Amino acid sequence: MNRKKDKGFESPRPFKLTHQVVCINNINFQRKSVIGYVELTIFPTVVNLNRIKLNSKQCRIYRVRVNELEAPFIYNDPTLEVCHHESKQRNLNYFSSAYTAAVSAVDPDAGHGELVIKVPSELWKQGDDLKVLKVYIEFSLDQPKGGLHFVVPDVEGSMAERGAHVFSFGYQNSTRFWFPCVDSYSELCTWKLEFTVDASMVAVSCGDLVETIYTHDMRKKTFHYVLPIPTAAPNISLAVGPFEILVDPYMHEVTHFCLPQLLPLLKHSMSYLHEIFEFYEEILTCRYPYSCFKTVFVDEAYVQVSSYASMSIFSTNLLHSAMIIDQTPQTRRCLAQALAQQFFDCSKSQADEWVLKGISGYIYGLYLKKTFGVNEYRHWIKEELDKIVDYELKMGGVLLHPTFSGGKEKDNPTPHLHFSIKHPHTLSWEYYKMFQCKAHLVMRLIENRISMEFMLQVFNKLLSLASTASSQKYQSHMWSQMLLSTHAFLKSISNVSGKDIGPLIKQWVDQSSVVKFFGSFAFNRKRNVLELEIRQDYTSSGTQKYVGPIKVTVQELDGSFNHTLQIEENSLKHDIPCHSKSRRNKKKKIPLMNGEEVDMDLSAMDADSPLLWIRIDPDMSILRKVEFEQADFMWQYQLRYERDVVAQEEAISALEKFPTPASRLALTDILEQEQCFYKVRMQACFCLSRIANAMVSTWQGPPAMKSLFTRMFCCKSCPNIVKTNNFINFQSYFLQKTMPVAMALLRDVQNLCPKDVLNFILDLIKYNDNRKNKFSDNYYRADLIEALTNSLTPAISINNEVRTVDNLNADVRLILEEITRFLNMEKLLPSFRNTITVSCLRAIRQLQKNGHIPSDPSLFKSYAQYGHFVDVRIAALEALVDYTRVERSAVELQWLLIMVQNDPTHYVRHKILGMLCKNPPFTKTTDSTLCNEALVDQLWKLMNSGTSHDWRLRCDAVNLYYTLFGLTRPSCLPLPELGLVLNLKEKKAVLNPTIKPELAVGTVMDTPASIGIHGVGMSYTVDEEPDPISLGVCGVGQPPQGLKRKAETPLGSPPEPGQVLQQQDDDGRGGRYKIRFNTMEDEDIDMETVHDSQAFIHHHLNLLERPSTPGKEPPSVEQSMLSMPATPVPSFSKEATSSASKHGSEHSHHHHHHHHEHKKKKKKHKHKHKHKHKHESKDKEKERERDNSHAYSNSPASGRSLRSPSLSD
Amino acid sequence: MADPAVASGGSLNAGGRGSGSKAASSPAENYHLARRRTLQVVVSALLTECGFESAEKAVVETLTEMMQSYITEIGRCAKAYCEHTARSIPTLSDTVVTLIEMGFNVDTLPVYAKRSQRMVITAPPVTNPPVTPKALSAGQKRTHPPHIPGHFPEFPDPHTYIKTPTFREPVSDYQVVREKAATQRRDVERALTRFMAKTGETQSLFKDDITAFPLIAARPSAIPYLSALLPSELELQTLEETDSSEQDDQTDSENTAGNIITDDPGADKENSMLPPSGVVPSTKASEDNVIDNPYLRPVKKPKVRRKK
Repeated sequence: MNRKKDKGFESPRPFKLTHQVVCINNINFQRKSVIGYVELTIFPTVVNLNRIKLNSKQCRIYRVRVNELEAPFIYNDPTLEVCHHESKQRNLNYFSSAYTAAVSAVDPDAGHGELVIKVPSELWKQGDDLKVLKVYIEFSLDQPKGGLHFVVPDVEGSMAERGAHVFSFGYQNSTRFWFPCVDSYSELCTWKLEFTVDASMVAVSCGDLVETIYTHDMRKKTFHYVLPIPTAAPNISLAVGPFEILVDPYMHEVTHFCLPQLLPLLKHSMSYLHEIFEFYEEILTCRYPYSCFKTVFVDEAYVQVSSYASMSIFSTNLLHSAMIIDQTPQTRRCLAQALAQQFFDCSKSQADEWVLKGISGYIYGLYLKKTFGVNEYRHWIKEELDKIVDYELKMGGVLLHPTFSGGKEKDNPTPHLHFSIKHPHTLSWEYYKMFQCKAHLVMRLIENRISMEFMLQVFNKLLSLASTASSQKYQSHMWSQMLLSTHAFLKSISNVSGKDIGPLIKQWVDQSSVVKFFGSFAFNRKRNVLELEIRQDYTSSGTQKYVGPIKVTVQELDGSFNHTLQIEENSLKHDIPCHSKSRRNKKKKIPLMNGEEVDMDLSAMDADSPLLWIRIDPDMSILRKVEFEQADFMWQYQLRYERDVVAQEEAISALEKFPTPASRLALTDILEQEQCFYKVRMQACFCLSRIANAMVSTWQGPPAMKSLFTRMFCCKSCPNIVKTNNFINFQSYFLQKTMPVAMALLRDVQNLCPKDVLNFILDLIKYNDNRKNKFSDNYYRADLIEALTNSLTPAISINNEVRTVDNLNADVRLILEEITRFLNMEKLLPSFRNTITVSCLRAIRQLQKNGHIPSDPSLFKSYAQYGHFVDVRIAALEALVDYTRVERSAVELQWLLIMVQNDPTHYVRHKILGMLCKNPPFTKTTDSTLCNEALVDQLWKLMNSGTSHDWRLRCDAVNLYYTLFGLTRPSCLPLPELGLVLNLKEKKAVLNPTIKPELAVGTVMDTPASIGIHGVGMSYTVDEEPDPISLGVCGVGQPPQGLKRKAETPLGSPPEPGQVLQQQDDDGRGGRYKIRFNTMEDEDIDMETVHDSQAFIHHHLNLLERPSTPGKEPPSVEQSMLSMPATPVPSFSKEATSSASKHGSEHSHHHHHHHHEHKKKKKKHKHKHKHKHKHESKDKEKERERDNSHAYSNSPASGRSLRSPSLSD
Repeated sequence: MADPAVASGGSLNAGGRGSGSKAASSPAENYHLARRRTLQVVVSALLTECGFESAEKAVVETLTEMMQSYITEIGRCAKAYCEHTARSIPTLSDTVVTLIEMGFNVDTLPVYAKRSQRMVITAPPVTNPPVTPKALSAGQKRTHPPHIPGHFPEFPDPHTYIKTPTFREPVSDYQVVREKAATQRRDVERALTRFMAKTGETQSLFKDDITAFPLIAARPSAIPYLSALLPSELELQTLEETDSSEQDDQTDSENTAGNIITDDPGADKENSMLPPSGVVPSTKASEDNVIDNPYLRPVKKPKVRRKK
């Protein structure tokens, strides 16, 4: 609903950030540490601004000063450990809601942050005149696990010689990982960035490099950057390393950086960047917004492409030489993508992100169309459409523009998902990719509606608005106009085009899901009418009902005709009058859609009908899946004569169901037709092999494609020998690569790969000769190995004998020999991106899986180690994941999970979890010996606290947990019967200590005089003494226990949940209530575990994260906390309780959010859990209840009502 | 191939210096041995003339050697004198001057020659002077162009400075060529990888027979992306070859498979690393001087006042 109202943009913060200085004084590669400070210039927008909330994760903060005055601060990061560790809760619903709550609690878009700075009281008055505040924060990072990635190769030499480098990375807004900031896309400010690095290094960052100055000892230099265009913190990045510098020869303001020795590759790979630039500037009729642009290529990149203000960080693996064919279009696409993101990079809120992603995806598509041609573009659109349709049908809808506000609505916009889409940090990676995919497809739909010209005008308008706003240097309130929002975008569309696209937006943007059509037809000869029936499935998950126009194209004998039908509620049948009478044997050319006239052999068609083929929604102007039924000859005509590649591809996939000689002929003809788009021909190869397999008993002639391949690629004089490679024609190169792979899928009557096909492939390998080729043949050879792999069929094993060399099948022996040789040669002469090793590893796994050689993971383990090229590692890990599933190996699963925790490369960790999800060792519906309590605990720990440094990884872990165990408590866990007993025990035992921590927190929070206390935040975690206080303050500790206990025991004054907090505490303590909130979940904590887990927490917090650790005299602080008078206890506890229950909704508008959300959750749980009776309390108690219900839903013994009546109103 | 080369080199040597160590076999050696025998007879005759009854073999040998040296020296010097005066055949006066130069009293020579007690030695058997071996003459030797006098040395064999034509009938059957190239490459690769596998650490796919399909052990490297991304030297070399060697693909198709593996073009790596599309880098290089890019600007010296 955002877009309905907002005229002026309302900041969620009580201040406006105008300028930020980031200065990093020292980067130590040896220790992987960084020291620096930031200075934020802010304008309070309220009187008496007394607290400033900023985002900061894993930074160690030494001091904070506001206008030269030391300021106390509290640092608390609830996402470090989402659920209180001792909790025996293991269900994902519970985790997801807790995680969402934790992320919300520090969400900058709600005005929250991990770092709460108390403005010294001397400055309070300043608030009246709304004067500038300068917040100065000194911080350091030690071995950061997120935000900054250090790559330090372990070789001899200085850091520069070793190619050591560091760069920033993150999933969405993750800048808080490396410096304190307002980590939101909606808070813009100007920047001054200073980086002091070794003299042999270069620091590349956003904005203009003003100057580079040596330090006094001349051993270091400082790079001074200024970014005068207001920019959001998440768009700030940094890369430092001994980069080689290449100034773009066409555009001198563009500079490229790569790691040592790669300069020749960089030169080649960047040689066309200017074309992309020119293209975008031309279509947008707008200059590139920044005055310079930098590309940096780094190793161990988090993602292939990440775009920041005026710079992009790429994976170094995108670089390639002129000899490489396959990588070239991929690299170009990545560059184009990165550049497209440069123009639109900040949005008002998470909900508006689809506009950003949509526009950049859309203009990227335009670039594809221009560079790679319309065929490629349409093919890509179809691919993306298929992807999103498959995903939504499988996983449920993808919602582009979720609305969370609106108080009383109870529905979660996406109840089908096991994560919340409210925050980017809770989004699963796969979902996010699909989100981007859908966004650009919807943009294309809008283009279809309003025309491309208008579309570009809209973009231009948005850009010029933004550039006007940004040029107003000192009017920071204007900057919000730079933020893109759904509202502004739609308004601009209606202004420019005068068209109402409301229904379209409602259908695709405000709603999730896609449309699923089933079509069939009958021809009524009498009336000469085509009776088309279009049905929809809108009941299964991920589908929605479509009402509106749909285009149908009918190819008749007299030409091609478009009809626009209205899909309405009840009408399934549509009568379409035909233009031509059926006719026979009249030799006349048949006009096609594009005006071309062709001769066709009409003998195959139905004599009574003039219909050649029918297409539903040929322009893909609905996000849909169409299953259309027409006769095989119609598909064949469509394949042969329809010029649209999408139609051809649809025909090919349809023909798989018609294994007839006619289909075979149509496919072969397409294969041979040079004018046909090569990807269609490639697809035809695979279809042909499937058809051949289906026709195996009646197949005549040589194996499919063999004679074709011979004709196209073999010598005229000796047809068994392939020509020496010449890949100058890329279309035939791709075909040459694909055909053997498809041929190897052929099977004979015994379901074996035909002998002559195998020999044929072996000959291709043998006679492969690349000496005269100006291109590398590594991808071709890799595909030949893949062909060998495809030819494998399961071994015939006699009573499970052990596989030995002696009983190796003769064919397999030949294959194995080739693979051995290839793999060994690769060690001596590595191929580009080690494609051959990758193929060999897959082949070996396939050999193992088919029982030809002993199944053994050790080879893959050695290739999976850090230090191999990343593609090789992924291939090896994929094999290991497969091994784990097939062999149900607990050892390998452990090995993989340990790698997830420890591997230096984030991408690899992410991939492991992703592959485990795709190919899970077991699922929630299957039983497995692997599924045991220890694994549950391990994974729980992983997502709960082990992955707090990487949002993406945490979401991956959540996905895996979901795949393995589902949403509810894993079935392998014992019933938590003991919960009650222990709870009772705990109740008695820990009454006093649990109150104390609260007191401590309260003290910190509420005594403004605590200038000296600014270290408190850290003392929590540094503290080693396993006493309840430290535990309690840990951000995950006991306060709630105490709280709860109080609530339960009649002794405790029943707090008025909510109100107190709200009144007392209006400037919000997002940081703190989170703690409470999280801890609230731990009602069923048991004393037995407390002490152990304390140690664990300490260990964790100290070792893993060190969230905040100035460590200035922690004992004394503790002392002070302890020694606080006991009088404030009641109020504190009240406050704490209320804050907990309120879940931090201090600002009234957020308040709504949370309530809304909680209700949604509650609703969700209601049908999941049996203890509905507990959900009856009032709004304020919702959240508490929810936790409660989680806590007890699984415990049959939990008859005890934790929420005593006193509490629930 | 190597053995004949060595042998012919040896025989050339022997021809020049007359080494006696080898059993006389070739006509050239026979010729030289006959000469030497005559010299020995001369020495023995002189000794007898002087009144010696007998002489040790070593002495005779030494004296023969001295005699030979003396005569050789006369010949050499006489030739030098003759060439000094721009002639090509020595005359009597050259010899006379030589003898004088060597400290010999020429006037005593007629008397000595006519002495009474001299012994008459039979003339040495007439043997044909050896012909220069033709073993290595390959191809047609070039004749002197008109401006070079005929007495100047002849041109060497063309193979020494133009090319070596092989006289083997080239295999023209395409299929055989391809077959051979493929087999050869495969053999080389297999031998090489086997060798590497034998000499280093290996991994095996089978537990029962770890030598069956030995895989060279995977070894992590510190900077894995370099080898994975940079084209290998072989590829660069092939690339260069394809650029230049389009014309004579026929001849080298047989032996390049071997060459490729063994050749090491490491020396000019710097140059060869440049991608073939050399247009961009070169224009860039020329423009570099005028580009004003902040990353190319010199680093400033710190200001004295500034405190860091």
